[in-house]
Amino acid sequence: MHRALLLGGAWLTLTGAEALVLGVLVTGLSVWLSLRLLPAKHPLALWRLAQHLPRFLAGSVSGGVDVARRAFSSDMRLNPGWLEISSDLPDGARVALGGELSLMPGTLSAGSEDGKLLVHVLDTSAGFDSAIPREVEDIAAIIGQTPKVRP
Amino acid sequence: MADIATYLLTGLGLVFFIAGTVGLIRFPDQFSRLHALTKGDNLGLGFIALGVAFQTDTWAQVAMLVLIWGLALLAAGTVAPLVARAALTESRKP
Repeated sequence: MHRALLLGGAWLTLTGAEALVLGVLVTGLSVWLSLRLLPAKHPLALWRLAQHLPRFLAGSVSGGVDVARRAFSSDMRLNPGWLEISSDLPDGARVALGGELSLMPGTLSAGSEDGKLLVHVLDTSAGFDSAIPREVEDIAAIIGQTPKVRP
Repeated sequence: MADIATYLLTGLGLVFFIAGTVGLIRFPDQFSRLHALTKGDNLGLGFIALGVAFQTDTWAQVAMLVLIWGLALLAAGTVAPLVARAALTESRKP
């Protein structure tokens, strides 16, 4: 149902109000393909996703500004390091968390190892990691879980 | 008025694209460079899309700009960890 909304919405946006019959066909086909490739294991709370949007946008802006400041400053103030994040998130959600963190200020995921997400931090003294538990909570809420974070 | 907003916002977007590129060149290792690219370009495209949105006639065109930005974000968020992973695997090779 959610996928039908998302994919149908994408079709409508791309084509406008023309080609509705074809749109229904294509949407049906892509929902079928999507469910086949990635069966729905967890509920997806779209309103939680929408709720997360303001934080995501704010993070995107501060992430971009931060990286721009460092790129233009003479000494760049880089102090890169690695973090391992363990959480109770299922595999797919951990990938989503990695993607999300890669767009947030100062953090970049490099996939997971033994169920732990490897995160590269641009400046270990700037406290970027303090935002991570909140991201884990938000992702867990989107798939209808209450998370526990073990930093 | 709309034109001024477009000039300002797309100009700002270009600054972030330049920042991303400068970071790509100046940052010391692959992972830090990836930070610069993903975050700088993400914001750059966001501001350019926002600036272009002031030139649209219909909401459908705005929706399309949002879709473009959303898909680019999704791609950046997906590809950045993959590239980082590849770099990590490569650097661990004896």
